[in-house]
Amino acid sequence: MMGETLRNLALLFIGAALVNNILLTRFIGLCPFFGVSGAMETSVGMAGAVVFVMTLASSATWVFWNALLSPLGVGDFLYIPAFILVIAALVQFVEMYLRKAIPTLYRAMGIYLPLITTNCAVLATATEAVKPGFFKMNIAYSFGFFEMLVYTVGVAVGFGFALITFAALRERLEVAPVPGILKGSPMAFVTAGLLSLGYVGLSGMFGL
Amino acid sequence: MSEWLATFRRGLSIENPLTILMIGLCATLAVSTKFEGAFFMGLAVIFVLTMSSVIVSSLRKLIPEKVRIPVFIVVIASFVTIVDLSMHAFIPGVYNFLGVWIPLIVVNCIILGRAEAFAYHNPVRLAIADGLGMGIGFSMVIMLLATIREFVGSGEIVFLGQKLVALPSAYQGPGIMLLFPGAFILFGFMIAGARWVTWRREGRVVETSQHCTIEEGAS
Repeated sequence: MMGETLRNLALLFIGAALVNNILLTRFIGLCPFFGVSGAMETSVGMAGAVVFVMTLASSATWVFWNALLSPLGVGDFLYIPAFILVIAALVQFVEMYLRKAIPTLYRAMGIYLPLITTNCAVLATATEAVKPGFFKMNIAYSFGFFEMLVYTVGVAVGFGFALITFAALRERLEVAPVPGILKGSPMAFVTAGLLSLGYVGLSGMFGL
Repeated sequence: MSEWLATFRRGLSIENPLTILMIGLCATLAVSTKFEGAFFMGLAVIFVLTMSSVIVSSLRKLIPEKVRIPVFIVVIASFVTIVDLSMHAFIPGVYNFLGVWIPLIVVNCIILGRAEAFAYHNPVRLAIADGLGMGIGFSMVIMLLATIREFVGSGEIVFLGQKLVALPSAYQGPGIMLLFPGAFILFGFMIAGARWVTWRREGRVVETSQHCTIEEGAS
């Protein structure tokens, strides 16, 4: 019984992080993907901030949904404004808290926090954590708290992994001989295409 | 009037949100596998962008600087909810295809970006021009991308159950056009093409600096 649960959680994690990678196979959160991947250092900072904020945001919206929106029966038409406000407020509080309490951590990822508020990856994962069937994953029930946590961390780790890989590729691309008109972002898109081709190979793994 | 037209035209050409400013990419690449999905996505963005520009611009003297981002988000979220519920009621097939991308219009950088960069500082008249121009510029690119991907990938273009164009059934398209890598690669070449055209015509290309960022301490 215990082994079965662990196996399911491990599959959920791999499915969220690799097979259904949020950046390269679902196109969610592409703006930071192209925006901050110019340098290795910023993308590592961004990846850390995303893992942190995404976990907090999904936990907060999961509790908010199960304690308030769903029992009151207003979830279906109120979830968009409600979630985005919960996430925006949460990020604001985290930023203020970090600035006062843990200044070193704030210096490392403070500048990425406001950017993350309007990042679609956070909203998408928060929504997905309460409505798993909504996103065509092969899971047609609602997550318990622990499953939601595993799922969210999986998505965030997949995000960070893809971002850091791509940043490394782009640093190499800087010195590559690229034809003038394709220099910069057009070539970055083609590279992302090739990277995502690798992820297509993973689809169908473990029946996910 | 010429100012209105100039503002309107900027969104279509030299400041096109997708090919030049490169904001709001996620939805573009994801829903462009089908022409009808791209068409309704474009309509939804035009509606939300224009309406939220009008509201933000008419309230711009009342919204305090400090809380402007949450106010923008609430205004945008209300219009997105209208779109979400209407699409669910009238075109359920398209609604299911677009799925997560409808709620995600809230965080589409084009809309928040235009509210912040344009509508908050300009009169309603110009905000409408900007909203329409940017929205139509977005729709043109996403529809072009979807037309190429659906036609080359599957050999036919289906719109609300009707086949608009169809190649003989012996045609076997390259499946990669319908997958994720195809979107990235095709879009890369589209940006290069758009850059070349603006460079030839205007002699300059707007540098792509706007990346879903809000200036520090803004929110």
